Amino acid sequence: MIERIEKLLERVEKPARYTGSEMNTEVKPFGEAELSFAFCFPDTYEVAMSHLGMKILYSIINALPYAVCERVCMPWVDMLSAMKEEGVPLFSLESRTTLSKFDIVGFTLQYEMSYTNILEMLFLGGIPVKNAQRGDSDPIVVAGGPCASNPEPLSAFIDAFMIGDGEEVIVEVVDLLNACKKKNLPRAERLKLLASIEGVYVPSLYHPEYHEDGTLKSFEPIDPDVPKTVKKRFVIDMDTAAFPETIPVPYTQIVHDRIMLEIMRGCTRGCRFCQAGMLYRPVRERSLDRLVELSEKLVGSTGYEEISLSSLSSGDYSCLSALCEELMEKFSEKRVSISLPSLRIDSVVKDSLAQTQKVKKSSLTFAPEAGTQRLRNVINKGVTEEDLLNKLKDAFEGGWNSVKLYFMMGLPTETQADLVGIAHLAQEAVKAYYAVPKGQRVKGLRVTCSASVFVPKPFTPFQWCAQDTMDVVKAKQYELRRLLSAVRGVTFNWHDPSVSFLEACFAVGDRRLADVLYRAWELGCKLDGWNDQFHYSLWMQAFADCGVDPVFFANRPRGLDELLPWDFIDIGVTKRYLRLEYERSLDAQTTRDCRQGCNGCGIERIKGLCKICE
Amino acid sequence: MIVVFEKGFALRHIGHLDLMRTIQRALRRTSLPIRYSNGFNPHIQMSFAAPLSVGVVGMHELMDVPMANEFNEEAFTKELNRVLPGCLHVCRSRTVPDDFPTLMALVAGSRIRIEIEAGEAADKIAAVFPEFMASGELVTLRKTKSGENMTNIRPFVTEGSIEKAANGYTLRCVIANRQDGSLKPAVLMNALCELAEIESASYIAYRDVILAKGKDGQLMELEEYVYV
Repeated sequence: MIERIEKLLERVEKPARYTGSEMNTEVKPFGEAELSFAFCFPDTYEVAMSHLGMKILYSIINALPYAVCERVCMPWVDMLSAMKEEGVPLFSLESRTTLSKFDIVGFTLQYEMSYTNILEMLFLGGIPVKNAQRGDSDPIVVAGGPCASNPEPLSAFIDAFMIGDGEEVIVEVVDLLNACKKKNLPRAERLKLLASIEGVYVPSLYHPEYHEDGTLKSFEPIDPDVPKTVKKRFVIDMDTAAFPETIPVPYTQIVHDRIMLEIMRGCTRGCRFCQAGMLYRPVRERSLDRLVELSEKLVGSTGYEEISLSSLSSGDYSCLSALCEELMEKFSEKRVSISLPSLRIDSVVKDSLAQTQKVKKSSLTFAPEAGTQRLRNVINKGVTEEDLLNKLKDAFEGGWNSVKLYFMMGLPTETQADLVGIAHLAQEAVKAYYAVPKGQRVKGLRVTCSASVFVPKPFTPFQWCAQDTMDVVKAKQYELRRLLSAVRGVTFNWHDPSVSFLEACFAVGDRRLADVLYRAWELGCKLDGWNDQFHYSLWMQAFADCGVDPVFFANRPRGLDELLPWDFIDIGVTKRYLRLEYERSLDAQTTRDCRQGCNGCGIERIKGLCKICE
Repeated sequence: MIVVFEKGFALRHIGHLDLMRTIQRALRRTSLPIRYSNGFNPHIQMSFAAPLSVGVVGMHELMDVPMANEFNEEAFTKELNRVLPGCLHVCRSRTVPDDFPTLMALVAGSRIRIEIEAGEAADKIAAVFPEFMASGELVTLRKTKSGENMTNIRPFVTEGSIEKAANGYTLRCVIANRQDGSLKPAVLMNALCELAEIESASYIAYRDVILAKGKDGQLMELEEYVYV
């Protein structure tokens, strides 16, 4: 087999995606472990290796003395066809073992448009694609990650989902399945035992019923022993939570080729469109000491030249300046630079900017998300135009000449005035640059203005909202293009509305979308997240073939009293709170950052979890 | 420090820039007194004697890693090997004076070996190879910095032989660099396939030795040149 794989590598465009043997991946021999886990990332190597969650779980599983974890990625189209031609099944990067030989196959769900890749990877790995067709000798297929918060569209393919923080539940799942393997328990029994672990959802043990209008009537377990509600898992203390001290270092360049140091989890801001902001509550910080310790170990074990301080809102980390200062000092000799992604404009960034620029200057990203104060209040983005302009001024005075502005279009209650507001902010950004005296500013202003399309997400206050129809989105994009063409020096980027439409369908979809997904894959859909591989017409054919109307999911406002497909999950934040937030949004009423006082989102029900509301 | 290393079979698909980044990261993992460049994006100073084309195994590669202060050669080898992945291996290191010429300027050619997998294609190549060596010309498409050109590649090959091996044939040749660059093993193999009127052949290429021009004008091993 290995020889056949080597032959394939001579034929493909980027063989380094498939060769493995990177630094820090020489784990343990596949055959010597009692239990094997294939960590599958349903996208290409470059995307997969940029993902922090995979590195965390990879190190956790490999630290178990009895288990081995290897990585598997989605091959690119050239490799896919070569593998099919030569009859080479999907294999792991480390030992090149066929996927079906693993005991557990685990997928991370980061993005709706990677779902077809899961089907393709299972198929290519020799595993029955539908869970109902799997037998005792097939691997148990599990999944986790943010998209597992609405697992229903994947219910026909995944045996068990893990909801919430993965660090602890993954060990419980692996432990349990290892015990089951020793006892040689049949598949049905293994699945039932899995369902007894907190945070684990086994879709085959639940049954939905629908009203005549297509909405959900009931969603119940088929077995009295199976919990009616699946509770999300939380890691309480980030300092004791596992974090890798060594990570694989790819040879070939990947998307985020650096050390990603997760400085905290969660965000206190409460933006109403943001799923991560709701899913990852409450805010839990790693201590400065622990972060310094981890970064020393990681630089020592990887030799990376950059550390990115990552979180949903790094500017909110309570001792950011001190952390930057300490890391800069520690690593100046080794010329390791520190970068801050996802800076929010309302954070105290000036000091941190001054720190990071000592080593490196890159483009700065700001996300006002909406063009007017009214709409920013609706989405609870607590940022004012004044804030933004002050931060832009700081940046341009501080030597930056390239800024990116992120907006969303199609937000609930949006009007023409909000689109005009986007163009207005872009114009103000240009003005802010020219307001800096010529000698002081760095030449070559670049303002990039990106507008994505609003996608309603489960467990957000906007989970009930409809997405604009594609015709409306297209008209708005046309209008924005027209407005922004009048602003000199601004580049406008927009998203393909048909991709956003499908994202919405799968984000808020239910079990019936599993058939559509299967049909789309049969028709040849895969790598849909890549523009050049995305075929909208095939997707529409799949919906038609299955008699499912995508508009029902994407463009229909859901009733406040409707049973939603993900209501059986207790995500921490309560439905009551989400509804309250939704109602406030319609009045353009803001909700305070929860560091200023508890807003009663529901997390306070879990004792000892939220430092702020206690 | 001049470092002789091996870029193993498993790494043959890793390109020149990727290899450079990998070695720089490895160096950062060591306690070696390396030097950094100045500027906004400081990087570790190092240079290769000659870039190795993708797909070729490097049996005897050379690079120069300037040191901030003197360092024991054996300790250097040991320390760098400690952090390198298994398929990259330092054989020897040697201290040279600061004013030592850049390796790149010394390179004059290389000795390559191509292991051709047994089969009809291999037999045909073995049949035409003596013909190629005897002729003065073989024109083929070759990519250079200035674009794709029809080039006579025969003058690049100053020595050549082919012999039967355990599983196919071993083709050995000396490739001399010329004013417009060097000759990649893949280009030579494609030309030989054309000559043998076959579509392709299965093979693995190795660069066994990098050559320099000696004081007498003869090609000699670059490592030897450095050591003299």
